[in-house]
Amino acid sequence: MNTDLLNRPQTVQEREIVELYERLRALLRDDLPPCAAANLRTALTAVAIVVTDLGLRFEHLLDEGV
Amino acid sequence: MTPQPFWNPKTELLPRDELRALQLAKLRRLAEWAQARSPHYRRTFAAAGFSADQLRTWADIERIPFLTREEWMASQEAHPPYGELPVTGPENAIRVHTTSGTSGRTPLRALDSRKDWSWAAEMWCYALWAAGVRSHDVGYVAFGYGSFIGFWGLHNGLEKIGALTVPGGAQGTPQRVKQIIDFGATVVASTPTYALRLAQEAESMGIDLRGSAVHTVILSGEPAGSIPETKALIEERWGAKAYDTAGMTEVSTIFMFEPAEQPGGCHIIEDHFIEQVIDPETGCELGYGERGERVCTSFGRSTTPLLRYRTADMVVKVPASRASSGRTWDLYEGGILGRVDDMKLVRGTNVYPGAIEAIVRGYGGIEEFQVRIERRGERDEILLVLETAPTMGDDAWAALARTIGVELADAHEGLRFLLERAAAGELPRFELKAKRLTDLRPVNGVAR
Repeated sequence: MNTDLLNRPQTVQEREIVELYERLRALLRDDLPPCAAANLRTALTAVAIVVTDLGLRFEHLLDEGV
Repeated sequence: MTPQPFWNPKTELLPRDELRALQLAKLRRLAEWAQARSPHYRRTFAAAGFSADQLRTWADIERIPFLTREEWMASQEAHPPYGELPVTGPENAIRVHTTSGTSGRTPLRALDSRKDWSWAAEMWCYALWAAGVRSHDVGYVAFGYGSFIGFWGLHNGLEKIGALTVPGGAQGTPQRVKQIIDFGATVVASTPTYALRLAQEAESMGIDLRGSAVHTVILSGEPAGSIPETKALIEERWGAKAYDTAGMTEVSTIFMFEPAEQPGGCHIIEDHFIEQVIDPETGCELGYGERGERVCTSFGRSTTPLLRYRTADMVVKVPASRASSGRTWDLYEGGILGRVDDMKLVRGTNVYPGAIEAIVRGYGGIEEFQVRIERRGERDEILLVLETAPTMGDDAWAALARTIGVELADAHEGLRFLLERAAAGELPRFELKAKRLTDLRPVNGVAR
């Protein structure tokens, strides 16, 4: 899905942000040491705020501990 | 780097029709989330014959039932400690906060996840950035840092922007004044009442805040931040610009902020909230320029979704064009104007605390005030107790009392206020929400 919530094409920067977001979500599905899991959740939190602010994604992440 | 006046230019400048489309897309997801996971919403949606899949056009928002504070509190009491609104238990949350409890009611308790809590700070970033706060600033947070949500989000927002953040908790007013000076604070956050209290204390310590590094005062927690007379007094005493904001524990953060050009109102953060204004009697939505009750839908808090929450705040919405910054977000003219239930009837005349404050703050030399409504014999009386600067002589006091009395009567259909002078330091001071009006009249023959 290379569009934002308004169905407009994402910019190159926006695409990279969404890829980062998806990558972090995928990483957190793995069995990680506590230091990695906790800090990656913090990282995902920050990127989730960015994708929401920019209208790229809007979803809640409680199931991922975020 | 190009100077950037907007925290989020993509949505702050979004054309209105696209903003509506974005809100509707988010609303659908929020309603689905609430319906699937919150026992309260599942029940109330079903009772109203509403389902999230009915949200096809903007008008469909009216199908969503209102949520009231009373419902939330009842749910909290029936299913302590958090009630059935949350979609999760505390195991998925990292914070719990409460309302201030200044109304005397049981405080409301609210949970936040990691993302919810970061989002709360994000909303403050919109406000701080719009007021010109940047990473080179030193922010002083004059706040007690308890379980009341207060300025916690602002604290985190300052850090997110990269400003040096000074937590001013657990100390008295003189110590806070000293820290503001010692740390070279450029931005101070407090309630309007406490901003004035800090200025009074500085004066008694022989410190002129107008000569300090403070250039910005961020106000929240009371409607007074948008009362022009109160704001002017704060700006005069601090030698700084004061910006109003408003939030509530129910959403965990602020939903509006006053931009740098100070257009006489506050922008609603419309990419994260849907704000409606309704007639409190009929529940029907009102148009621009009509005074009514604020109804809030918040997209940011995953743990406790908030859909069509009746806030009891009185507001007047005006179009974005009222401001000149280019933001497309509508404004609340004059900020929060009061509460639906704070109007008092005294001998047939409507009395609003905010209107009294606007008059009192228009006069110099008044340190603090209280309003008391009493029954004396068969007659209701309204007393305004004023604490003046200690240097004010008896003649000056008599002249001041006469002038204020006339202005109050003119503004209240001739209602005569009784004016009394309090001794220096006699009236209560407030760090959080000030309570300046007390209605001592008996209810159904019983004294309160």
